[in-house]
Amino acid sequence: MVRTLAMFTDTSLCIGCRACQVACKQWNELGLEVPEWTGGYQNHAHFTDKTYRLVRFIEEPGGKPNGDLAWLLMSDVCKHCAEAGCLDACPTGAIYRTEYGTVNINQDVCNGCRYCVSSCPFGVVSFNESTGTAKKCTFCNDRIHNGLGPACAKACPTESIQFGFRDELVGKAAKRVEKLKAMGFKDAQLYGADAKGFLGGLNAFFLLLAKPSTYDLPDNPRLPQRNVMVDSLLSIGSALVVGLGVLLSFRERGKGGPHA
Amino acid sequence: MPKPPHWELMIVWYFFLGGIAGGAYFTAAIADNFGGARDRGVARAGYLLSLPLVAVCGLLLIADLGVPTRFLNMMRTLKVWDPMSIGAWIVGVFGLFTFVSSALSLSSSPSHAALRRKIGLVGIFFGFFLASYTGVLLSNSAMPFSAGEGWGKLKHADRYSMLVELLLLAALIAALGAAARPLVSGHFATLFWGGLIGLGLLLPLALDLLGTRARALGALAAALVLIGGFVLRYVVLMSVQA
Repeated sequence: MVRTLAMFTDTSLCIGCRACQVACKQWNELGLEVPEWTGGYQNHAHFTDKTYRLVRFIEEPGGKPNGDLAWLLMSDVCKHCAEAGCLDACPTGAIYRTEYGTVNINQDVCNGCRYCVSSCPFGVVSFNESTGTAKKCTFCNDRIHNGLGPACAKACPTESIQFGFRDELVGKAAKRVEKLKAMGFKDAQLYGADAKGFLGGLNAFFLLLAKPSTYDLPDNPRLPQRNVMVDSLLSIGSALVVGLGVLLSFRERGKGGPHA
Repeated sequence: MPKPPHWELMIVWYFFLGGIAGGAYFTAAIADNFGGARDRGVARAGYLLSLPLVAVCGLLLIADLGVPTRFLNMMRTLKVWDPMSIGAWIVGVFGLFTFVSSALSLSSSPSHAALRRKIGLVGIFFGFFLASYTGVLLSNSAMPFSAGEGWGKLKHADRYSMLVELLLLAALIAALGAAARPLVSGHFATLFWGGLIGLGLLLPLALDLLGTRARALGALAAALVLIGGFVLRYVVLMSVQA
């Protein structure tokens, strides 16, 4: 594997222009969608099979230090988790990790079983009815293999979305958090930057100005496959119990006649 | 927010028929190996029932895919920790077992019967796997309802023991806590209490206890349990995604 690439989204710099969302649509040739009424500026409410970048507009009453309404903006995207639930769930091997550390879906292999859709802790992966396959951000796989950054990062006018080597970006992000805290943003924090943290770290990580749940992000996302061992053991245990019951009832009945 | 995978009626039917296929084979193989001569009929009926049911299961799974013609892509990988991958393999392997056991159950030769019994003992494992892995699959997703871990236990006990099922359901509801709300008091409450607990469990249990001598009542109880089994899969799968 070559050096891991990453996207760092600094939400403190986001102005909500949605250039990233448009650039993503254009580069990836994602089709039109009927807008949704979400009660605010945000569109759509969630990621879809045609929306891989999504600017979230969050109104948080009393969120500012002086008690005013805080208007939080965040350009959300697939996290390209180091331990990815979708990748573990995929039974065809269509979902794979690239040499850059990103997670991608091979559209020629995916057969549309949709287990990855239910396995993403962030609700990123979406099912496309017309192709019959699962869709999500590709980290602009075609661009990064040709020396270009992702379209969203390229289009961002405020450098809220930065693209680069993961180790370098994490260092930058840590400095930025300290600066913001000194400026009075006491809840400023990194989300997914720590490679020892949840999901082995996110290759698209974020700087948030409030706690993750404010942004509709899980505080401590976990791999959905965490229960497999326990559940399987429980199944085997009950198999033995049920099997014993059936066996005993046939044994008893069998006593009536000779064993053929 | 995690997304539902939109597994709908075809998958409810698959869970239901897969459970019956696995249970039928399971019962047949035990009757074949440990029962007396009178149980040969049970064994043959079980084997012969499981074969077409597994075939229907496979067709349902393929039809539900986004690109059904790519169903063989499931055979590109084998991930032992992944219920979806294992499940696809199990349907195929168990299908093979039901075929061989069914074919052998039509023969009256003693050597074929001996072989069939041995095969049955191995096939039991796959049959039970088919009947129970779906619970593991559902509980290993990011959907909120899946936090409860009583599922694997719940999935298979239902067909064999109604009392055990009632206890397991109570345990499941207790384990899920607030997450069980859509089941017990939400949109699916009528189906859950009326269809599953009432019609599918309490009534057949009462029929079983009261009228063991009347054949029609026994058949009615069995039919009600099957309906209850279907309702269970329906409310569980649909309320997870609601």
